[in-house]
Amino acid sequence: MKPEVIDKLRDIVGADGATDDAAELLVYECDALTLFKNSPDVVVFPADTEQVAAVVRLANEYGIPFLPRGAGTGLSGGALALEGGIIIELQQLNRILSVDAENRTAVVQPGVVNLHLSQAVAHLGLYYAPDPSSQVACSIGGNVAENAGGPHCLKYGMTTNHVLEVEAVVADGTVVRLGSKTGERIGYDMVGALVGSEGTFAIVTEITVRLLKKPQSVKTLLAAFRSVEDSSRAVSDVIAAGIVPAALEFVDRRTTEAVEASVYAAGYPLDAAASLLIEIDGFEVAVEDTQASIVDVCRRNHAFEVRLARSEAERARLWMGRKGAFGAMGRISPDMITMDAVIPRTRLPEVLTAIERLSEQHAMPVANVFHAGDGNLHPLILYDGRDADQVERIHALGEAIMEVCVGVGGALSGEHGIGVEKKDFMCMIFNDDDLAAMRRAKGVFNPDGLLNPGKVFPSRPSCSEVGPGVTRTAEAARRIDEYVRGAGEARA
Amino acid sequence: MIVDSRAVDRVLAPASAGELAEMMRSETGTIAPVGAGTELSLGNPLEPIDAAIDTRRLDRITEYVPADLTIHVESGVRLGQLAGALAEHGQMLPLDPWNGPEATIGGVVATNAQGPLRAVGTVRDWIIGMQVVDSGGRASKTGGRVVKNVSGYDLAKLYTGSLGSLAVISEISFKLRAAFAATASARLRPGGLAEAADVIREIRSGPLEPVSLVWAGPEDPFVAVRFGEHPRAVEWQLDRLPGEGWERFDAETESAVWDAVRDRYRALAEPVVRVAAPPSEARAVIERFRPESWLVHAANGTILMTAGVDAIARLRERHPTLVERAPREVRLQAGVFGLTGAEYDLMRRVKTAFDPEGRLNPGRHVDGERPA
Repeated sequence: MKPEVIDKLRDIVGADGATDDAAELLVYECDALTLFKNSPDVVVFPADTEQVAAVVRLANEYGIPFLPRGAGTGLSGGALALEGGIIIELQQLNRILSVDAENRTAVVQPGVVNLHLSQAVAHLGLYYAPDPSSQVACSIGGNVAENAGGPHCLKYGMTTNHVLEVEAVVADGTVVRLGSKTGERIGYDMVGALVGSEGTFAIVTEITVRLLKKPQSVKTLLAAFRSVEDSSRAVSDVIAAGIVPAALEFVDRRTTEAVEASVYAAGYPLDAAASLLIEIDGFEVAVEDTQASIVDVCRRNHAFEVRLARSEAERARLWMGRKGAFGAMGRISPDMITMDAVIPRTRLPEVLTAIERLSEQHAMPVANVFHAGDGNLHPLILYDGRDADQVERIHALGEAIMEVCVGVGGALSGEHGIGVEKKDFMCMIFNDDDLAAMRRAKGVFNPDGLLNPGKVFPSRPSCSEVGPGVTRTAEAARRIDEYVRGAGEARA
Repeated sequence: MIVDSRAVDRVLAPASAGELAEMMRSETGTIAPVGAGTELSLGNPLEPIDAAIDTRRLDRITEYVPADLTIHVESGVRLGQLAGALAEHGQMLPLDPWNGPEATIGGVVATNAQGPLRAVGTVRDWIIGMQVVDSGGRASKTGGRVVKNVSGYDLAKLYTGSLGSLAVISEISFKLRAAFAATASARLRPGGLAEAADVIREIRSGPLEPVSLVWAGPEDPFVAVRFGEHPRAVEWQLDRLPGEGWERFDAETESAVWDAVRDRYRALAEPVVRVAAPPSEARAVIERFRPESWLVHAANGTILMTAGVDAIARLRERHPTLVERAPREVRLQAGVFGLTGAEYDLMRRVKTAFDPEGRLNPGRHVDGERPA
């Protein structure tokens, strides 16, 4: 990058507001998806919207790629500077600008940490519902970019259901305000298009979010099962009973072993093939009853242990095991990939069997800890990044798992996004016409493609090389039958 | 067929998504997609059209998996038909738009139609995927068939509420929820604006979580509230309604309340606008404008009220305001959306990107108005 660009960036953000120091840039060569790395040429730390817009205009003037970055906790490579250029780091924009308790909204800057918002409004009896596992670190701007979810989106929806209005800098540097303070959409739902566009449409500089009333009562329980099938049936039966749990999480044996050997030990039964962490919330007068129904469903499906959290401390402990599961894997494996896929909930047992089978075939251990209520799987592939052969196998295994999930009518991602990680899987689901429609939308906001290039769309020019999505899906469906049959025979 | 006072002789009624695409490919003129025809004057005045696409024969529920809480329906399926199928499995889509059970689901989505259940969300919150055909006859899909999905851009958000200006919807996938275990309603006839506003503020700030909360006036004013929950939670909330004089209605009798709300909506004197004001400001808006009639989604702050061209301009100084139901002249003078600046420009680009020749519902959306 030309030195004059760096000088001009410093004119905008101040001498301390930019760095091109190679050692400092190391931090920015990837986000939480560490499998892909590339260094930006420079990182800037703007202090306000005007600085963001000025940086964007400068990047346009010189034709330099640029992209926003929040806390760098994203798992699909959304904040990876694939073509170098300028990373616009938004962590300095970290103020909660206002809270309107009566109307239950808050206006925040993109760098505000997700959990900090809930903490800041707790005294008002309010909270911010989307709660990704990284909520202690991730920023709300990043949540908006990725349409982040979390365990509680089963009942309360994703980020897109909680964003009312945004101020954003689009790719040419124009500052625009979209949406309304009440969430009423007047004209096209531009906020809806922007949320989840993975930082390829605009850089969000101010966000008005909806806050919810804290539920009167919360009950959390853990149910342990000897077989995955029993636990899956329990999940289906809970839903069939008309219960909408606040969260319904699945933890497998491998995860339990890792968690229980770690500082996150939560007392999950080690002899369970699967444990369900179920949370319900609502009115005091109703939750007891609902809890009793859930316990009943679990027992009918042969849960050998059902443990109710009797205090806030016990509740926190049960959740610690779930939320700490990713960290706990560090004890048993040097590296880990957190995959993300969604399947129809009713296909859970066969898909888990298929994943187990694939894990054996590729000789790569996989742990499963995920949002069972909405069928959002998170297979954790454990590997050693120093072993090139293992890294190679991850890609093959990852693709095979995605094929299985797509084959049963699922989706490539439930909450992490496509980014660079899955862009070449897009053809499994979408054909050229589908992608053309998406390119139209991108063209509205980012016609020259300078903002966050190389994301979301497959690197090959056409999906037709692998046949339309449907053909691929049918193939994958046949393959999953094979896996499932194979697994059955192996057990017999 | 008459669409927004434009006569059209050429009415095409595809019976499948494939036929729809074929028809769109062979049409070269301007096209207006039409469902049950319940909301045909929403949007800016329509420019002349050469053909109408009647979606009512796209009336199949293509797949319903109750255990997955998902349903996939063609766009011509009637809301009543859909609700009936879901009720058989104790499930629901919490939508009760004013245009009623005869409306097609495609029409409800394209117009972002709302009713008293506005308090628990709008149709956008329940859509998980969509298939559409563009003006060139090219079919495409967005989203998927599972309840949670961030694969690719969420174009369904753009198509929702786009008034058929970007593409014709052929199929929609929804996530569902369990039907309310129990429901009950209550109605209060407040003494004045202050009493109504106070009661609403107390309901909103306390622990109550109504699924509908409507305030109508000025003649024969009332506040109507509905709870949908576990039976004990419904009872508990009814017992805690603030103020005196609530008339209670159980699940058997509550339809009287909500039929009356619906009648009140239909009786709103034109021009009717939709004002996006925060809930706490509803009273101030009503006091300032003294509308001839109003109906407020009090949980969200969406105000439906009578307002003339001058009042619309003044409303827009403070709150985004949509002209919801108005004679042609008012829509022409005020502009239905009243958007400005960069927001208008971006939306104009959306229209151009998806319908470059301007053949789909020409003039209906932002292409029919200049920035305010």
